[in-house]
Amino acid sequence: MSENGEEKLLAVARHIAKTLGHNNTMSDDIFQILSNFDGRFSRENLSEKGAEADSRACAALDHSLKTLDRRISNYVSSDRPIWADAADSAAFLDAVDELVAAVAEWNHLASDKAVAACLVRAEDMLQHAMFRLEDEFRSLMERGGESFGLTRDPRHGESAENLPFDSEDDDDDEEARNGDDEQIPVALPVTDFDIIIDALPAGTINDLHEIAKRMVAGGFGKECSHVYSSCRREFLEESISRLGLQKLSIEEVHKMTWPDLEDEIEKWIKASNVALKILFPSERRLCDRVFFGFASAADFSFMEVCRGSAIQLLNFADAVAIGSRSPERLFRILDVFETLRDLIPEFDALFSDQFSVSLRNEAVTIWKRLGEAIRGIFMELENLIRRDPAKMAVPGGGLHPITRYVMNYLRAACRSRQSLEQVFEDYGLKDYPKLDDRLPNSSSLSVQMDWIMELLESNLEAKSKIYKDPALCYVFLMNNGRYIVQKTKDSELGTLLGDDWIRKHAAKVRQFHVHYQRSSWNKVLGILKLDSNGSLPPNGLAKAMKEKLKSFNAAFEEICRDQSSWFVFDEQLREEIRISLEKILLPAYGNFIARFQGVPELGKHADKYIKFGTEDIQSRLNDLFQGSSGSTGSRK
Amino acid sequence: MSSSDNHGPFSPISSFGRSMSRLRKEKVHSLESNHKSTTRDLELESFQKQVTVRFEDLSRVSDDELLSVDWMRKLLDAFICCHEEFRAILLNNKEQVSNSPLDRSISEFFERLVKALDICNASSDGIEKIRVWLKHLDIVLCALSSNQRALSEGQVLRARKALMDLALTMLDEKDCKSVFPQRNRSFGRHNTSKDHRRHFAKHSRSHSWSVSRPWSAAKQLHSIANNLAPPRESEIVATSGLAIPIYTMNSVLLFVLWTLVAAIPCQDRGLNIQLSVPKQFSWSTPVTLLHERIKKRERRSSNGLLKEINEVESCVRHVTDLVDTVQFPLTDEQKVEVEQKVKELSLVFGALRDGLNPLERQVREVFHKIMSCRAEGL
Repeated sequence: MSENGEEKLLAVARHIAKTLGHNNTMSDDIFQILSNFDGRFSRENLSEKGAEADSRACAALDHSLKTLDRRISNYVSSDRPIWADAADSAAFLDAVDELVAAVAEWNHLASDKAVAACLVRAEDMLQHAMFRLEDEFRSLMERGGESFGLTRDPRHGESAENLPFDSEDDDDDEEARNGDDEQIPVALPVTDFDIIIDALPAGTINDLHEIAKRMVAGGFGKECSHVYSSCRREFLEESISRLGLQKLSIEEVHKMTWPDLEDEIEKWIKASNVALKILFPSERRLCDRVFFGFASAADFSFMEVCRGSAIQLLNFADAVAIGSRSPERLFRILDVFETLRDLIPEFDALFSDQFSVSLRNEAVTIWKRLGEAIRGIFMELENLIRRDPAKMAVPGGGLHPITRYVMNYLRAACRSRQSLEQVFEDYGLKDYPKLDDRLPNSSSLSVQMDWIMELLESNLEAKSKIYKDPALCYVFLMNNGRYIVQKTKDSELGTLLGDDWIRKHAAKVRQFHVHYQRSSWNKVLGILKLDSNGSLPPNGLAKAMKEKLKSFNAAFEEICRDQSSWFVFDEQLREEIRISLEKILLPAYGNFIARFQGVPELGKHADKYIKFGTEDIQSRLNDLFQGSSGSTGSRK
Repeated sequence: MSSSDNHGPFSPISSFGRSMSRLRKEKVHSLESNHKSTTRDLELESFQKQVTVRFEDLSRVSDDELLSVDWMRKLLDAFICCHEEFRAILLNNKEQVSNSPLDRSISEFFERLVKALDICNASSDGIEKIRVWLKHLDIVLCALSSNQRALSEGQVLRARKALMDLALTMLDEKDCKSVFPQRNRSFGRHNTSKDHRRHFAKHSRSHSWSVSRPWSAAKQLHSIANNLAPPRESEIVATSGLAIPIYTMNSVLLFVLWTLVAAIPCQDRGLNIQLSVPKQFSWSTPVTLLHERIKKRERRSSNGLLKEINEVESCVRHVTDLVDTVQFPLTDEQKVEVEQKVKELSLVFGALRDGLNPLERQVREVFHKIMSCRAEGL
């Protein structure tokens, strides 16, 4: 090529001189300068006669183009894939490279008519070569994709080993069973996310990169990226479907029954994790390898591949966020909230370039919206408590279902304390009254919990008013208060409400106990009171004592009859009540009986009037609060 | 909405003005504080006025600018403003809104909002679809406008190829499938025994990412229009006039979504809805007029009536014809023609490309506004 090179050099010099010189004198001057600079640029060589040399150079170009044309068109017109054979593909790429180099080399001489004609030919050849490269690229993408888990090709089996998808065999079995085309195989659960899929065999990736390099260099970067992303997008879309996730409009999500939606949420959580932790990063890696050295093409192609699937995933979360806010949905929506939150770092890492940053922002917006939904659910819970009507009294003053519901609900909710704290953080607390007496360091969530407990208590107080018997009313409050304290202790809910709160409420239960005792037993104790003045005549005393005992018997009988149908759910509480009753009742009764037996007129007949021995009293007290008439609240 | 709702023997709204004034008189005698009711009346009147002014302004558009990106943005802007004001009315009348008889129409409105969200999403997907067209067009321009150098046959071939890809993308999916069933399929192409793969690919491909396969913009519009009837006089009185803004907002929502579907590619487009607003509403004339003007433009298998889309389409047709007919070597006349067509194409291409981003942002804004309103209503 050295001779050829000299021809070219001279042609360039001639060209420069012609271009720079506006008239012959100027050109002459330039020729002079050039010939002084290098002997080869002699006036003779560069003069008009040199045009001959020019055409000789052109002939060389023409010649090399002809050779290249033979080499290239051979491949371009072939029916067989060029990349089926490594030697073929290497030879084809070499020819393309030479063609590109030739065009680049001669491009600045395009104003020369003969050169321009050659360049047009070269350009045409290049276009055809590019079309062929595009086809080869597509077919490599497709075949590569098939070797990956789709057609079970044992030669490529190794790359499919750690895939989260079920094997092709299962797929075929299923097909054989029902022959249903629409059956979409569902992926097995994935627990280990620390894997990256090699979606294409390493050799194929290399081949693709080599082609991409030529296509970008040849100005066909857009075509290359388009073929790449449409193939990968379809692959990704199928992968997401295999995870069991379907495309759903917001309205469809909205109209789903709750159990169906729960299933869908479950699938969404798995699919999102697999997508963000395995599929998208794998796509990113593939993109970076195929478009190595072309960062912008890589970013753009990656966004084109993943955008749709990412939108599909985000759209579902969005639909969930504006769904119904009935309290039972809290736990699943918390799951969605937490899943998205935990995936934000992945969104950050994957979608940070100019093309895809909006996806990352959408993810954060939707995550916040899920937080709003959770706050909305708590508001709904508040309304539910506030509006729970005090229509029917729980028989026996037992545990009210709302107490059990709210306490267990809050306990379960507080297991996600961290997330809930996030949700309520920085949220306007002004909606809640009595903020002033709260500790400044109490978290928004504890304020929220405190507020719900307050609502529950005032609702229970309103409900206690239904009982006509004030003693029963206190038993009701005691039962429910006790349950609240019990459920609060040793749980996250208790930590949130604080020890003071628990102490205060335990004291409240004791207060109810005192009130209960007073309102139902003071009358009985009053009967047993002995007049210290002995002003009554002996006969009168006996009569009075007999009367007293009679009314005690009747009153005790009545209380025991009534209160044995009342209910205290907590055995320990029942025990406490009994012991404290024994403490006040037994001594008073013992005294009375001793006195009774001491009355001379009654002495020997005393036993005839004494209906209850101390043990009888004890055993009757033991029977209290067993809820014999109803089974309400029989479970803890 | 069926036409019989409005053209019956007695049009309930004919006495609209009268019922408003009666309403006012009644309020004076009612226990409701005078001040409160006056404030509400002012609020309702201002809302009607706002809607009227906005749509009168929109309807003054020239035929040339109707459905342009700028006009669409103005329309969406009008929606956002009307919607904000409507939201304020709902908030100021919380008590009434959450009780019978208004609670039902409000919950119907919220149902419509959910459908609106899907239409917004489908429109965003449609904008994404336009971006795909632009990608092909970009290649066409790149091939044909190689500066300085003479146009080569290869470049024309490249442009022709990109134009064909563009035509395929622009075609309806099903047509596309029947003509070129194997194009751009990564699964099953080399594996004809596994037909289900192709089925699968077919099944899973849809215009949209945000809506399911059977979702249809036409059906959604229909169900939004369904049961949308102007309030009767008795309803207006019973709701202290609040039935009027609710009907107004529903109509604005319907019209705006309908126009969105008209302008932008959307899964299963269809513009065949009735929109008949009684004349007593001051905004009726501009809205009805616009509806008529836009409806006239619809053609079969249109990709969207956005002005910039149509300009690109017609330019693409010219360029396609030219590219399909030229013979090499080109005459000077042809060279000039190509140059001219390419220049035109690059102009309309630029206009569409530059319009998409702001338009998309605004569709998203509408989406977010509706989203938060819907969240408030829960």
